[in-house]
Amino acid sequence: MSDRLRPLLVVAAVLVLVLGVVPAVLGAFDRSYLYQVANLALIFVLLAASMHLVTGVAGLLQLGHAAFYGVGAYTAALLATDAGLSFGWTLPLAGLGAAFVAVLVALPTMRLVSIYFAVATLGIGQMLYLVMLNWVPVTKGPNGILITSGLTLFGYDLSRPASAYFVVAVVTLASLWVIHRLSHSYYGNALRSLREDDQCADAMGLDTVRLKIESFAVSGFFAGIAGALWAHTAGYISPADFSFPQSILILAMVVVGGLGSLPGAVIGALVLILLPEVLRPVGDFRNIIVGGVLFFSILLMPKGIIGEVSALDLVRRQLGGAWRGEGTKAGSEVGWR
Amino acid sequence: MAGTNPAMTLESVGLENHWHESRGLFGPNLPVPMDYYLQQLAIGLSLGMVYALMAIGFTLIFGVLNVVNFAHGEVYTVGAFAGLVVISAFAPPLIVVLLVVVAVGALAGVGLERIAFKPFRRFSDEASLKSRAMREATLMSSLAVSIVVREAVEIGFGSQFQTVPLDRLLNSPISLGPVTIVSGDVIILVVAALMLGGLQYVLKRTNVGLSIRAVSSNPLGAKYVGINTDRTIIWTFAVGSMMGAAAGILVGLYYGAIFPSMGFIPGIKAFVAMVMGGLSSIPGAVICALILGFSESIATIFVPSVWADMVAYGFLIVTLIFFPRGIFGGARDRV
Repeated sequence: MSDRLRPLLVVAAVLVLVLGVVPAVLGAFDRSYLYQVANLALIFVLLAASMHLVTGVAGLLQLGHAAFYGVGAYTAALLATDAGLSFGWTLPLAGLGAAFVAVLVALPTMRLVSIYFAVATLGIGQMLYLVMLNWVPVTKGPNGILITSGLTLFGYDLSRPASAYFVVAVVTLASLWVIHRLSHSYYGNALRSLREDDQCADAMGLDTVRLKIESFAVSGFFAGIAGALWAHTAGYISPADFSFPQSILILAMVVVGGLGSLPGAVIGALVLILLPEVLRPVGDFRNIIVGGVLFFSILLMPKGIIGEVSALDLVRRQLGGAWRGEGTKAGSEVGWR
Repeated sequence: MAGTNPAMTLESVGLENHWHESRGLFGPNLPVPMDYYLQQLAIGLSLGMVYALMAIGFTLIFGVLNVVNFAHGEVYTVGAFAGLVVISAFAPPLIVVLLVVVAVGALAGVGLERIAFKPFRRFSDEASLKSRAMREATLMSSLAVSIVVREAVEIGFGSQFQTVPLDRLLNSPISLGPVTIVSGDVIILVVAALMLGGLQYVLKRTNVGLSIRAVSSNPLGAKYVGINTDRTIIWTFAVGSMMGAAAGILVGLYYGAIFPSMGFIPGIKAFVAMVMGGLSSIPGAVICALILGFSESIATIFVPSVWADMVAYGFLIVTLIFFPRGIFGGARDRV
């Protein structure tokens, strides 16, 4: 098989699976609950992928990711209810709003490293959560916001579970493609060099602060997109959806899947969202099982389900990546231009 | 999350509201009587002492292992529930309850170390002891253990507030001149002071304390001079968790609020105190915990009490930006 054809086939297979097989199976059962689970899984795939960029690739341990998710969701919900905008407007605006907040957060915290950075993001995440919880005139506080306008795009009503699934799937796949091109490229290599040794990267002429802020903003943007998807598909948001345990859940997805590996983050998200659903018959014990899965995956698979090296190998072989070379010459995709 | 994942969505909201229930009486434009300030200072002192007890556990463990123990809040919860079980089963005097809770806390600490930290300490050289991989692995494993513990407690007792026998609540009023405090304030102050004194004694006058200080100053050097670092680490967890568990039952009886996710908010506050104090300085952590307690209780005079948590996070961010080494921290290369 030629190296040009293979990426097309892989992409086509993923598209058929996500846009063909899954909706067919969901349609066969035709229960709105199953669509909800599928949407939730895709939204968390997007969240895990956005955190993968900043925590896995750029190595900035982020403990407040759910806050950007929340900023996006609240931006979308408020624009949809108070300003009456449709999904076509709220989606990009939610992303931009979350990216703007992410840049504001990044400016003072980017000079911190390791655990100090993690603690700062935890604190800021909690502050944003408190704002959502207590700024009652705007966010309605703990009561949350009901989004009654549904999901309309270019005048079409897409609120039916089946069509909403397609919207979520298309947006998630497009975002994943962007994150894939960012993290498997020279730009991704530069971010990885920050993770390994940012002083060294600085000495090599990379603008480390700018790279960190950029990766943070991009990650915030996609978290905001995920928030808008959640607000429009669930129809109801409340601060509890964006609290610290959610940040930890997203971090757990990235770690279980493999830090620095995009396919790993996707699989980690699917495992941690779908496992509790599969285990629903077990009832009360399912969250204990999730904790146990997290624990044993760290203990037994410290590199994650798909470790970074094998993930890079896989992506390069199957998708090509955005490196200049064809991916066949050894070493042609190393370095930073 | 629309019922898909109830345990991940937190019930800590209940704690925040309960924690500051009776405060925040005066709006910004009303004159505030002097007594009220004094009263808030008394409350702030007991709040700060609780944070201090929690922060010491974090600080000790960070000192010896250079990792953050995210399950520390669950030790606090376990302490409170152990106390509640003992109270409802035998109704012993408070001092016995405290002793049992402290013992349970020590056991919980040892168990936590064996399960969440020991398996990841495969090599004993300094580079891997302080490596990022080890730090992230233990951070996640302690989180996983905390999820499992919280869920187990929730299955055992239910997620709502537990009923504490009314006569065991530490809220009988005591008048001190113009100020009225409750017995809980005094008891928390006394117990915390005793435990801090005891900790100082253990650290400075006993062999265990000597080895804890040695390991936290240089783990490899401590090993070279014949200190059993593994045993020292277990001791550290036991001592730190005793303090956390005691704080849990004291707060539980003070506010009458014992529930499975009660450890989360105090855990974060103690974490903030540790960072403000410079990560591995015990006096720093205690002083910062007291500052935190005082500022929160004073803040409730001026702003609605639900915003009081903002004070802690504000302190955290300001500290990290302007005093990145912590107010009492030693010199570090980079933070």
